[in-house]
Parts: sequence; C-alpha cells; structure tokens
Amino acid sequence: MKRFLVPAALAAAYVAVPLAFGGNPYVMGLIVAALTIGGIAVAWALLGNLGGMVSFGHAAFFGVGSYTSAVLSMKLGVPPLAGLLLGGLGAAVASIATMPALRLKGPYFALAILAYAHIFQILATEMTGVTGGAGGLLSIPRFPTLLGVDLGSKTGGYIIILTIVVLSAAAYAAIRRSAWGLALKAMHDTEIATRVIGVPSTHLKAAMLALSAFITGVVGAFNAHFINFLEPDYAFSGTWTVLPIAAAIFGGYRTVWGPVIGALTIYLLDQLVFKELMPHGHQFVLGMLLVGMILFSPGGLAPILGRRLEGRVRHAHA
Amino acid sequence: MLSLTLQALFSGVLAGGYYAMVAVGLALVFGTMRIINLAHGELVLLAAYVAYAAESQYGLNPVMAIPFALVIVGASAALVYALLSRIDQDREINSLILTFGLGIILTNAVLMIWAADIHSTTAPWFQESVVVADTLFAMRSEVVFFVGGLVLMAGVHGWLNHSWQGRAVRALSSNRNAAKLMGVNPRRTEILSFLVAALLATFAGIAIYTGKTIFPSLGHVMTVKAFIITVLAGMGSIPGVLIGAVMIGCIESLTVTYVSASLQELAGMILFLVVLFVMPSGLFGGRKAIAR
Repeated sequence: MKRFLVPAALAAAYVAVPLAFGGNPYVMGLIVAALTIGGIAVAWALLGNLGGMVSFGHAAFFGVGSYTSAVLSMKLGVPPLAGLLLGGLGAAVASIATMPALRLKGPYFALAILAYAHIFQILATEMTGVTGGAGGLLSIPRFPTLLGVDLGSKTGGYIIILTIVVLSAAAYAAIRRSAWGLALKAMHDTEIATRVIGVPSTHLKAAMLALSAFITGVVGAFNAHFINFLEPDYAFSGTWTVLPIAAAIFGGYRTVWGPVIGALTIYLLDQLVFKELMPHGHQFVLGMLLVGMILFSPGGLAPILGRRLEGRVRHAHA
Repeated sequence: MLSLTLQALFSGVLAGGYYAMVAVGLALVFGTMRIINLAHGELVLLAAYVAYAAESQYGLNPVMAIPFALVIVGASAALVYALLSRIDQDREINSLILTFGLGIILTNAVLMIWAADIHSTTAPWFQESVVVADTLFAMRSEVVFFVGGLVLMAGVHGWLNHSWQGRAVRALSSNRNAAKLMGVNPRRTEILSFLVAALLATFAGIAIYTGKTIFPSLGHVMTVKAFIITVLAGMGSIPGVLIGAVMIGCIESLTVTYVSASLQELAGMILFLVVLFVMPSGLFGGRKAIAR
C-alpha cells in the first residue's frame, strides 16, 4: 500500500491541486507560501535530524539565497530559473562562513547561527550599492513562460516550489538511507564512538549544513522571483526561522514528509484561522504548538498518525 | 572628543548594570540545569510590562510595582521550570525548542495585551538628569538601578558563597551526583535557581522600563544579549559576568556614539562570534558554571 502512496500523492499534488484551485489566485498564493515554508522546514529538519543541530538562523540562508538570485538577475540578466540554483549556491557559500560554528554544541551553535543571521541582515541593509539598502529591490524579474506554461503565474509558481520541495525531500530521504545517513544516525547516539571507528563526523556535519543552506537558499531565491520584491527586514525576517521550526516540530522533524505536512497545516491554519481571530500576536498559537508538541509528542504528528494507520492495517490483516 | 568618549563609556557601564542582572539569571539556571532558558529575556519583558500596566492603569510608581512584578515573573519562571522538567528524551534539543516556544508565547501575549507601541515611564523623577563628576550625564533611574543592581548582585554572590542553599546551587552545578549524595535536593535547588533568576529579571525589567524604552520584541533581544555576555564571561562567576556585561554595554554605546545606532547590535554579535571561535571558554577562562 505504501508503494502507491507516494506516486498517488505526487499525482494529486501536480495535477489535482492546480485543477481544483488554479482559478483562485488567493488560495493558490496561500498554498505557494505554505510550500515555501515547507521547503525551509525540510532543510531545517535535515540539519536537525541528520546533523543533530538546532538552528535559530535559517533566515540567514533564506535571505542570502534570495538576494543572490535577485541581484544576479537584475544586474547581470541571469535568467530566474538559473538564479534558483545560484541562490542556493550563494547560501551554501555563506554557510562556509558559519562552519566554524560546527564545533559548538546545542545552544551555542543555535545562537551562533542566529548571530550570523543578524550580521547578514545588517550587511544587506548597509551595502546599498548592491542590495538597494533598506529601500529594497523592486520589480525583480519574474519566472518566464516555458512550454506554454506561465511560470510567473500563481499556478506556475506552485509547480516550481512543489518541484523544489519534492526534490529536497527526495534528497533528504536518499541521504537518510545511504551509508552517510547511517553514520549520522550513529553520531546522534554517540559522537565519540562514531569518530573512533573512523567516521569523519565534522565533515559530515559540514556537508549537512551546506546542503541545508543550499535548499533554504533555493527556496529564498524562488520567493524573491515569485513576489518580485525584497527588503532586508523581510528577507532576513525571523519569520523564516520560526514558522519552519514550528512546521517541522509539528509534522515531525525526524520524518521526511512531516515538515512539509506540518508547514501546510500550520501556515494555512495560521493565515486562515488564527490571523482572523487575533490580528496581533497570532504567533502566540505557534508558540503554544511548539510547547505542546515537545511536551506531549516530541516526535511530531507524523509518528502518531503513522502508528494509528499501521494499527488499522494490522487489524485489517488479522 | 575625550569627553564624548568618557560619556559613552559612562553610559555603557550603566547599561552593563542591568545587562548583568539578566545574564547572571541565565547563567544560574544554566549552572543547575545545563539548559539555556531561551525565555529568560521574556521574563524581563514581563516585569517591565507589569510595571507599565501598574503605572498606566492604577497610577502606581514603578518601584511600588516591584512586588506585583515579582509574583507574576516568579510564577512564570516556576511554570517554565515545571514544563522543562517534564522533558525526558533528547533533553538538549527539546529544551531549546521548548523555551524558544515559551518565549514566543510570552512575547505574543504581551503583544496581544499591550500592542506593539513603545513605552517608558511617565514619572519625571526617574528621567531627571543627574550629573556625575561635573561632566558625565545620566538619567536618575540609570544611576539608581545601577547601584541597586550592584547591591542585589552582591547579595546573590554572598548567598551563593555563604548560605547552605547557595552552596547547594554551586554544588549541583559542579557535580550533580556528588551533590545529591551530600543531601542536596536537586529539584528544590533547581527551582530556587529559577526564582533567583526571576528576581534579577524583575529588577532588570523595572530598570529598563524607567531608564529606557520597552517594546514586545525586547525579550528576545535581552535573551540573546544575556547569552552573548555569558559566552564572553565564560559563565564563571558573578564578577566575571558583570565585567562582560559592562564590556558589551561600553562597546554598544561607543558604536552608537562613533559609528551608527543601527550597528549597535552588530558590534555585540561580532564580538560574540570572535570570542566563541578564539576563546570558547570565555575571556576569563575555565569551563565552569557560574555558581562554582
């Protein structure tokens, strides 16, 4: 049954969703924004689950990715689709600057990355010649029309971000299954013993950090070309850190699809319900969600649902 | 030029006084529980807003609001402790995310109740200027709370070194199992460290409300600042944290005076990264927790 689940879900996502909501730009825009959060959430979970590192500064990679692609396409005329990859590369390069933080543990790493996010934000504000400073960048080039599909439209944007998220999750799943994944899992249990048997743990962590930054950067670049506008306070906003963390924790950051499902649930609930109920401070609910999940189900929602589903299947066989 | 520098240093030292109160609380809790309470700055924020509510609604002087703030902040700190102590697996990651979530809750609760406006005390007594040594200016509240904060921290220092409970806190942070064998009740001692941290946070909150301005995202800023200071000072001792706090205060105010106010936070962040990479055990050495 599980073998058909993924292809079926993919078919539904690529065909059914655009058919059902394509005519409604508002709903489509919401889904794209939710998937944007989902992409960062996958990247965050990859670092948290495989690398064992909590980051409070993924906004840094998001911002660097979005500025890299936006500036390249505006100043040098790089096509936006190539800009996606370059944005990812930019964020991965930026992550090299953060790699000394890898020898830090727990809260030290988490807050060192936060410090980088602040520094990058201030640099983006001060480097007015390149980034336009606090005034921001207006009319960033939109995605082109390809094979008769207008990628600059809401539906086109949906197809792009969906592909980014699917590829990221697939990469995450592949790494988890590989020998690397096994080594990283062992490292999570006991790092010293893993190093003793010859696993280059620091290199592995560095690779996970770079990959996580790359994915976040691609998502950031996508967002820049999708909304066609950037300013430092927006590109490096703490929202790009808080929402993905809440999504990953809610969905289950130790699973591959948990963060994406978490992002869709949390973002849509937040925008459609909580924002209506409380215009100020609706992130309150996100905080409650984080605390509740850590206390009652630190593994996230996915394991609970999975267990229930498995139980039902077993009953059916019995 | 010289007088401008001196004035900047003076303001920095005064700011360091309340930074230190926040940082000592963070370090105390880290000492007993090995957890960085990311909601610590939000306790400071809560105290400041209690003072604001008491003043704006009941016309109460901010100093008279301290008892109320103590009760509310102490209860919140106890709640944070109660929730933290329920974590049993992956303690390091989960405690970080839990306190991060609690910080978001507190910040947004403040935002919902009091909106995003910037506030400060309306009592003129606090904001009258005081001249020290003929040339250095300060607000009265800055001086009052700097001196008060020093007295309070000296009290906590003495308590840690000379009372049985204070020694229990230090014992727990130096060797948990040995402390238990010596009859230290770890839970009670942990709660105690949280309550002392809440006491310091309350005073810092009132100090900020009377001498600076308050706004909902201040809590997060204070948490990060307190963490930077403890990294700088190495969580070693209260005098060490005080020196670290004064250094951060001075660097910030020099940056504001000579470079730009928008770079104020950057200076602290860069110093944080440099110290972290070059001297991970802090400027004053020793991988010790505060209370040793």
